[in-house]
Amino acid sequence: MATPTLRSSSVPSLPPPSPKSPPEYPDLYGKRREAARVHMLEREITFLEEELKSVEGLQPASRCCEEIADYVMANSDPLLPSTKKNRRSCRFWKWLCGMPCFNLSWICCCCCCCEGLSLQLKLPRCCCDCKPCSCSCSCLPSINCSLPKWRCCCSCPKSQCCKESCGLGNCCTFPSSCNFGCPTCPSCPSCCSCKCTCTCSCPSCPKVSSCCCCTKSCWRPCCLCC
Amino acid sequence: MSVTDLKDRHAAAADTVNNLRHRLKQKRLSLLDTDICEYAKSQGRAPVTFGPTDLVCCRTLQGHTGKVYSLDWTSEKSQIVSASQDGRLIVWNALTRQKIHAIKLPCAWVMTCAFSPTGQSVACGGLDSVCSIFNLNSPTDKDGNLPVSRMLSGHKGYVSSCQYVPDEDTHLITGSGDQTCVLWDITTGLKTSVFGGEFQSGHTADVLSISINGSNSRMFVSGSCDATARLWDTRVASRAVRTFHGHEGDVNAIKFFPDGNRFGTGSDDGTCRLFDIRTGHELQVYYRQHSDNDIPPVTSIAFSVSGRLLFAGYTNGDCYVWDTLLAKVVLDLGSLQDSHEDRISCLGLSADGSALCTGSWDTNLKIWAFGGHRRTT
Repeated sequence: MATPTLRSSSVPSLPPPSPKSPPEYPDLYGKRREAARVHMLEREITFLEEELKSVEGLQPASRCCEEIADYVMANSDPLLPSTKKNRRSCRFWKWLCGMPCFNLSWICCCCCCCEGLSLQLKLPRCCCDCKPCSCSCSCLPSINCSLPKWRCCCSCPKSQCCKESCGLGNCCTFPSSCNFGCPTCPSCPSCCSCKCTCTCSCPSCPKVSSCCCCTKSCWRPCCLCC
Repeated sequence: MSVTDLKDRHAAAADTVNNLRHRLKQKRLSLLDTDICEYAKSQGRAPVTFGPTDLVCCRTLQGHTGKVYSLDWTSEKSQIVSASQDGRLIVWNALTRQKIHAIKLPCAWVMTCAFSPTGQSVACGGLDSVCSIFNLNSPTDKDGNLPVSRMLSGHKGYVSSCQYVPDEDTHLITGSGDQTCVLWDITTGLKTSVFGGEFQSGHTADVLSISINGSNSRMFVSGSCDATARLWDTRVASRAVRTFHGHEGDVNAIKFFPDGNRFGTGSDDGTCRLFDIRTGHELQVYYRQHSDNDIPPVTSIAFSVSGRLLFAGYTNGDCYVWDTLLAKVVLDLGSLQDSHEDRISCLGLSADGSALCTGSWDTNLKIWAFGGHRRTT
């Protein structure tokens, strides 16, 4: 049976349908934004009502103050002048404050301890090894011998040591006028120039659209260095 | 519903919110029967007194060539990591002043740094909106630089603060200028939870500071430019457990009190405050009137291990030591010999509480410790 043929028509055939996403609804009047704001407020109302109910059963502040005072008085504090009994003066065993010991380093290397003080104040019997640039004591694995090391480790090889000039290479040094912070509104004067062939531009602040921000919260740098 | 109807509903809801906030404020005021200072005085507590050489500067750590913005101590060894405008992290041996590592950062604009609990890695973040992790045991690259071992990307604003979850080298929390805090899984580099943000109830301005509860690591607090502090439970990211009002300016610094049930804040309004996390009470305001009516903002705070002392750094270079019980300034480290020459931007206590480290815009860090005699009975 012959397939019937369609008669040719003078009207051009329509293109085949192709599925398309519906056009985006234009939120011309901010309706969706407004609805979101209302939703946030209504949620905040729920939270506040819950909090108002919970406040009913709260203890007064005096009870909290009592707890704090009890806690503070019950715990010792190494930074407080206290009235603890000690067998001897621990002046040169204080946390790195024993300058007199520098001159009497052999005493510092003696085993001595003060009761009631931090373990870090207990110095080892022997002096430290002065390994090139390790500058660490091998007397006890977890304790560094600071005062004797001061004398013997002062000449660590520069190339291996993490000293001030080690490892910084040729990095940019910023002139002192290069600071964080935005210039005063409304004008934006040109910023400092960095040595490393950088260029400066006044940034736009994320918070305030019309002018540069003056507050700390605008953390855009004045100079952006490469 | 038309836009006009929505606007009317918005206005009504805003009125209701204001009314509820007022009622809440009144109710809370009625529970504030005293503050810590009045209570301590009523108990006859004597103030802390420091002699002239009791708290002294023991060490000055020199090496940065730019302002120091952040520092953190290790949990066990006496090491400190510091972050500076010079684009470096430096890991110091605080006992010897030696620099153990000087890490060149991919982005020089760093704002925060933290040591992992084991001391094996450090984290930092800043204007690049990324928190970068460095494994201190990794071999250096051909230029001698320590490579980044993980980048935690996803914040839409600068990373202002970061802290590792205690006892977990694999998780840390960041605070950001995008108004959110994020709990990260460092192993995968992915966000575990986002606290606040566009569709959740959270801060309404930049987050500037965070502090994780050392007694219960599921709880942390955040301070923000919206002048509030918020308490979060890491299991519930959809909303803050509680919001703490009181400050009148950005909350730049926040730290848990050693007992884990209170926390302190430092703000642009020049005050430090102590809040109770279980009740929400504001228990004390630490503010000292200046003769010239200048109110320097607070940049950083830390508590001593007993909680008796509150250290607060200010933009004018002062570093007040507050007696937390009697709300009195007992010492100003900024006025001592060898003090910093510029703003104190950060400070932190060593793990054993025997030393305080301060970092400053004068590019130095200083270690302060007890240098006096302990009185004998």
